[in-house]
Amino acid sequence: MKTYIILPAYCEGKVIKEVIASIKKEGYKNIIVVDDGSSDNTYEEAKSTGVITISHPINRGKGAATQTGIDAAKLLNADVIVTMDSDGQHDPKDIKKLVKPIIDQKADVVIGSRMINNKDMPQSRILMNKIANIVTYIFFGIMVSDSQSGLRAYSKKAYNSVYTYMDRYEFESEMLGQIKDANLRIKEVPIKVIYTDYSKSKYKHMSKFSPQGLTNGIKMVVRLIENSLIK
Amino acid sequence: MVIQIVVTLGVLVLVIPSIYSSYKKKSMTPFGAFLWILFWIAGLILIWFPHLIDVIGSGLGVGRSIDAFVYIGIVYLLYVSLNQKIKLNEIKREITLLNRKLALRDVEEEKK
Repeated sequence: MKTYIILPAYCEGKVIKEVIASIKKEGYKNIIVVDDGSSDNTYEEAKSTGVITISHPINRGKGAATQTGIDAAKLLNADVIVTMDSDGQHDPKDIKKLVKPIIDQKADVVIGSRMINNKDMPQSRILMNKIANIVTYIFFGIMVSDSQSGLRAYSKKAYNSVYTYMDRYEFESEMLGQIKDANLRIKEVPIKVIYTDYSKSKYKHMSKFSPQGLTNGIKMVVRLIENSLIK
Repeated sequence: MVIQIVVTLGVLVLVIPSIYSSYKKKSMTPFGAFLWILFWIAGLILIWFPHLIDVIGSGLGVGRSIDAFVYIGIVYLLYVSLNQKIKLNEIKREITLLNRKLALRDVEEEKK
């Protein structure tokens, strides 16, 4: 089975090489990095590792980059697609757990949930994820434990049934809505989140109730409302 | 009288040439330019003959005739704003699809 790992990356030049190396170490050689118009050396760093590296000329957001990665894997006739964050917060050891239910034909989509074993997660982050789950349920009618998780696996049937149009973070919710509409079998597995100094500094504003974190949340809800009104 | 002269001069010296220049630069269709000129001429007529506002207002069944213009203005602005939003969304989507097409070129060539 050909498994493709997709890494949508925006300005991750400092860590992308390390992330790719850690995935390769787990035995996954088919890696697609989608550089989303980074202003740093993300593209060059990823390309130097020998993995498939493609690039958006203009930054369009994580949702757009992930869909581009899915399209690339589709062109390469992948059997399973795994999407993963490129900042190193996901543990490549978890990929196996996500792919297994698809190989065993027990699920079409597997979501890596940070909320099943969330004892290391800050309380404020847990609350924000729960709010995001409720918002996803309101707009798309599907309830999962971690609607914003970027670590997901899709079978061929699943990736051929979905196509997201939302460019930013809200695409994770849009994708869940399409999974529900296509009657795909969904499974959630617990995953580990690695809080490195790098990811902590990157998401510093989201680790507590800061005005910026709140603004981002509100922006996401506004975009979901806009998209539900204007196609 | 002074304000009527100032507004008329403003429209004739600034607005109409600006519409004409947009039309020449092809950023406005001939029909669009015609509508805008018509709109401003209608505005000038109302400034010079304000009693016409009352005639229009009573025709529309609005007590205070100026209210009719406010209502129409709000509806028009909402319509314009919605249209702009739809257009903007279309442009954003097209940019994303173009970006994607460019990004996937290498993969397609590799596949060949």
